[in-house]
Amino acid sequence: MFGLSNMKRSTAGLVAVAGATSLLLAACSSSDTTASESSNAAGGACQGKTIAFVMGAVADPFFNAMKVGAQEEATAQGATLVWQGDKEYSAATQIPVLDQVLATNPSGLVLIPTDPVALQAGFEKAVAAGIPSALVDTKVNDISKAVTFITGDNTDGGTKAADAIATAIGYEDGKTYKVVVGLTSKTATTNVARLEGFQKAIAANYPGITIEDIAYSESNSAKANTNVNNWLTKYPDLSGIFAIDGTNATGAAAALQAKGLTGKVALVGYDAYPDNVKLITDGVFTALIAQDPAAEAKQAIQSICTTIGGGTVTTKEVVIPNVVLDKNTSAADLTKYTYVA
Amino acid sequence: MSVTASAAPSKLKSFVSNQQFILFLVLLGMIGIFTAFNRIFFSVGVAGNVLADWGPLVLVALAETFVIVSGGIDLSVGSVCTLSGVVGAFAIRALTESGMAPYLTLFIGALVCIGVGCIAGVINTLLINYAKLVPFIATLVTLGAAAGLALVFTGGGPIAGGPSQAIQLSVPWLGPISTPIIIVIVICFICWAFLHKSRFGRHTYSLGSNPFATRAAGISIAKQTAKIYILSGALAGAAGMFFYLRLGSGAPSSGLGLELYAIAAVVIGGASLSGGSGRITGTVLGALILTTVTSGLIIVGVDPNWKQVVVAILIAAAVTIQGLRRSEGKAS
Repeated sequence: MFGLSNMKRSTAGLVAVAGATSLLLAACSSSDTTASESSNAAGGACQGKTIAFVMGAVADPFFNAMKVGAQEEATAQGATLVWQGDKEYSAATQIPVLDQVLATNPSGLVLIPTDPVALQAGFEKAVAAGIPSALVDTKVNDISKAVTFITGDNTDGGTKAADAIATAIGYEDGKTYKVVVGLTSKTATTNVARLEGFQKAIAANYPGITIEDIAYSESNSAKANTNVNNWLTKYPDLSGIFAIDGTNATGAAAALQAKGLTGKVALVGYDAYPDNVKLITDGVFTALIAQDPAAEAKQAIQSICTTIGGGTVTTKEVVIPNVVLDKNTSAADLTKYTYVA
Repeated sequence: MSVTASAAPSKLKSFVSNQQFILFLVLLGMIGIFTAFNRIFFSVGVAGNVLADWGPLVLVALAETFVIVSGGIDLSVGSVCTLSGVVGAFAIRALTESGMAPYLTLFIGALVCIGVGCIAGVINTLLINYAKLVPFIATLVTLGAAAGLALVFTGGGPIAGGPSQAIQLSVPWLGPISTPIIIVIVICFICWAFLHKSRFGRHTYSLGSNPFATRAAGISIAKQTAKIYILSGALAGAAGMFFYLRLGSGAPSSGLGLELYAIAAVVIGGASLSGGSGRITGTVLGALILTTVTSGLIIVGVDPNWKQVVVAILIAAAVTIQGLRRSEGKAS
């Protein structure tokens, strides 16, 4: 169908598009970096230094909230923040970003490794170059050379979700209840830890609750919606749903509303996406387990600056507690913990 | 007498070897198997769930049918569906905040979604007709750009803030059928008429069968290509609105990977990726089989990852049947 001349024209067109795309990307990249950089003469251990922050995925509200905290702390410390990452949460795309950042020889590095094994080499490369490096949210397998590792408590989040569901359904010993759990994937470490915390809390404190099924949404709220729609048909006596992350929470909330089951089936979600937080007051969500990404980022920048200033960070691993947002949470706290869109 | 006797088995043979008939049997077989494992599968509730999944899938699969019949491919339908839903969600939120009536807001939101889809179709057309990219590369470019823009616009989270009537519209009221599903069924009929009963459809088949003969017949390939890819974008945009009504928000992940299932539905429906063949009824049934598998595996309690295996088997079977029919045709 395509002759040689067509192929040549196709190649020329492809080159033209690739060139235009590169220019566009370069423009976007430079404008993004400019927007992310700031320095302040307020003073601090990091005065005039550059701290690179290589995070998980550009467009996740969780990381956007983290960026706000990182920027605030960098400004307070008098440092310039370079915020970098790819649009996908993937080791394959994060490694080249990390390599490029390290080539600029920053004074400090904060890394959110998207894979504990794949990012180990890049992290050690930073340490070997004499760059004080901290880990946030997720970690590499060997954290012995990290300034610190700061994370939310995912197991605790699962435990709190179990407590919130039990409270919402008015759990009583001797009675039986059915719940289901929506995950993003079988292997995402945060999902695994949250599920583990949930299962342990159910087994230890609420033996009358049975986890009937677990399904995966692949970070797709439409798939999460399909899963919950089918669960609600399969288990007409379902008591509760634990939606283990933001996309599952969105899909589950829509399914409950469409089936007219708001308030009749307890729904505990994870992550304080702005539109999901609004649904707490509407009674769609029994509770949302919110992390505090801004606090994680602030503490990481503080630790880096302490190290740059010649100090020592004694706490190797810091766990930032989760916050349960529900109908009793004050409006001020709901605003405070809502992730930035 | 002998002529009548030989015609009857021949008709029966052609009916039985008809791909749509086979698909219908496969669908019935699946319903039977899933019901045998869990009787609740044969219920209005599950049928409603299957149709809710079928709606957006069949819209993008219809889009893909026109493109594939013309000998092209549109990889951007999933991302365009996502971007349309997101842009539509912003429009719906703004109109709601301005105090516009809910149903008028949703209607305008639908037009915005379809409009965004059409723009994507125009971009695909420009890349194919003027930048002279092959459809695979042209739509791959649009796929990446649309998916990226959806993430940039939303910041990764869902865009809600529309009228509460959005989700309520997705509630089935005619057995398992909701208002959006009725609209999708009407769109299926329109697409059927377009592809099988109009000059546009004949030109689409002609382009896919033999582009050189089509050009020689005085048909503008560039114009026909433009019509097909803009129609494809419009249908993907409509799917974006369907997702909005279902989720009550524009989610940047809603159409993720949908293009592959759309292509699978078209291939299972009997279309050939080399162009020139394919039926709307086949695509409709292909999409219905895929969504039946999704719901069935959840209701039966099988690991949903098996869905990919089942889809792979269905594609292999569909292509094998096509091959057998083609070789039988040559032999006779």
